[in-house]
Amino acid sequence: MDPTRIMLLAALMNGAGLWLLLPQTGSFPFRRPLNRTLGTLLGSAGLGLMASQLPGLGEWFSGSVFWGSVFWILAGVTVVAAAAAVVSRDPVYSALWFGLMLLGTAGLFLFSGAAFLAVATVTVYAGAILVTFLFVLMLAQPEGRAGYDRTSTEALLSAVTGSMIVALLSIVLGRVLGLPEAIAISSAATGGTGPTPDVARLGTVLFSRYLIAVEVAGVLLLTALVGAAAILARRNKCPCEDQTTANQMDSPTEGAA
Amino acid sequence: MLFFFETLIKIALLIAGLMTAAAYLVLVERWMAAWIQDRVGPNRVGVPLTKIRLFGLGQPAADGGKFFFKEEFTPGHVDRALYFLGPMIMLTAALAVFAVIPFGSVLPTRFGVEGLSEPIRLVVAPGMAAGLVYVFAVNGLAVYGALLSGWASNNKYSLLGGLRSAAQLVSYELPLGLGILGVVLVAGSLDLETIISHQAQSGAWNFMLQPLGFVIFFVAGFAESGRLPFDLAESEQELVGGYHTEYSGVKLLMIMVSEYLHMFTASFLIVILFFGGWHFWGLTGSSDVVTWPVALLRVVVLLGKVLLTILFFMVARWSWPRFRFDQLMGLAWKVMLPLGLLNLVVLAVWMEYGRAVAEATGLSYLAATAAVGWGTLAVAWLAVVWFAPSASDNRPQRSPVVQEVCR
Repeated sequence: MDPTRIMLLAALMNGAGLWLLLPQTGSFPFRRPLNRTLGTLLGSAGLGLMASQLPGLGEWFSGSVFWGSVFWILAGVTVVAAAAAVVSRDPVYSALWFGLMLLGTAGLFLFSGAAFLAVATVTVYAGAILVTFLFVLMLAQPEGRAGYDRTSTEALLSAVTGSMIVALLSIVLGRVLGLPEAIAISSAATGGTGPTPDVARLGTVLFSRYLIAVEVAGVLLLTALVGAAAILARRNKCPCEDQTTANQMDSPTEGAA
Repeated sequence: MLFFFETLIKIALLIAGLMTAAAYLVLVERWMAAWIQDRVGPNRVGVPLTKIRLFGLGQPAADGGKFFFKEEFTPGHVDRALYFLGPMIMLTAALAVFAVIPFGSVLPTRFGVEGLSEPIRLVVAPGMAAGLVYVFAVNGLAVYGALLSGWASNNKYSLLGGLRSAAQLVSYELPLGLGILGVVLVAGSLDLETIISHQAQSGAWNFMLQPLGFVIFFVAGFAESGRLPFDLAESEQELVGGYHTEYSGVKLLMIMVSEYLHMFTASFLIVILFFGGWHFWGLTGSSDVVTWPVALLRVVVLLGKVLLTILFFMVARWSWPRFRFDQLMGLAWKVMLPLGLLNLVVLAVWMEYGRAVAEATGLSYLAATAAVGWGTLAVAWLAVVWFAPSASDNRPQRSPVVQEVCR
């Protein structure tokens, strides 16, 4: 069969599996344990089918059994954690599965020799962003969990979109990986012995070739920060008091200084 | 395979050393507390089943044993999975940091083993180019331990403790990073071993050259290790015990040990980044080619410096009152962050034009760098005194009722 057709079939299975796994109101379409079992089976079958069509993936074991199994364990953890993050009924658990997925991704980066990218992913996403998420989640639902937190709205649409994105990326990836030069690179990188990118070289590239992109991203973040502070400052202002007393009240440090 | 055995031996040595050190430093801390408060302190427990007291040196074993034999009670109202996961994440993260932290320099011998092409470096993962970022990444994971155990305990005090701890750790990571950036800029590497050898070669430890960066890192390191005056997460007078209120037995032991390990991490980083690591003038040399006595001396020097830093942590614990939460946040965001940026900008400008300036004034480069560093510290101190951003006012504030009426 044509590889693209197989990919699309795999995408269909993935989408159906994800749709069954997503938490929905009541026990739709079957009873919940059956949904879970069927979804897991369909999803893993679809993913396996997809992996079989990617030229690089089948050859990971040929280099060394140890490094091959490291890769497959990391990849498995990442995929399972990602799925669990989406289908979990408890927002806090979703966030934690997402964190595990980040760790798996960082492990895959490390496996590919991108040590700096790996630790930077963990520092930025797991260390800062996800902690903030968790912070808000834990403050937002001190007791009980609301129904709209526990079910997924538009389960069908999200399952279709998710599986289509995965399928398209995999098809493109499969074509690119099938090129002869890509195969040469991937076989050289097997076993983690490929060229390790230097941190200094990464810095040089970031601040010369991609300088403008870095600057724009920095300005964007700064704008967001200032905007957040501005929104907060407006909410705290009290309209009916006159400006002078409000100022004095808002900055208690003035007297001390 | 030799690579694996070498690493495994190092890991075993490191974990055994860290755990023993944690147990005995608890005893040292209790002695020190007793000394400061004019008490006698633990001096009874010696060899078990005899009357030999040994200055209380048996105390850590007794404490550890007690933790294992205590009832390990799991309250009924907790989220069981996360309740178990919290302490494990804490201990794992606290131990994993030490993968890139050197506990010596190199060993001169290869022990006659074929296949070891390079001399043995005394760090679990040698040559990790992104070592410092790794420390940050794993330290960031430690936040989850506190946050999860606080939330999973399903107890108001625990939740408050966990949230406080998370807010504190996340806030102080910024000044911590800014304090480090100066060192990284000067050494040109994120690898801790390279940073040490850079200081050893120039002979000037970083705290002499960038005192402002050192002060920032030192205070932030205190805050990251969550000890007095930064122990708001478990302030007994307000929160019972903070995020570990509901824990007992071995899980409590895991949390306590990981808090101690955080202090070790902070001490190791302070010594390695700012006090020259294993380097001491005229004693340890500076190159990678060593003899056995020098190699051992380097380990002793490094661990001695770390011990002194830990003792300073302990003295500080019994000398300072706890911050209030707004003071804590004000210190991080209004004092430490601007000063860290100032330090970074001054250092970056100096790296670019410093050599020219030093030549023009006739000073040696190191002396000129030190002068600029101490000048920056003086300016920063004056700025803090003048603007007093962390001075707080305890006069009654606008009452919430008035605000309600206003809206």
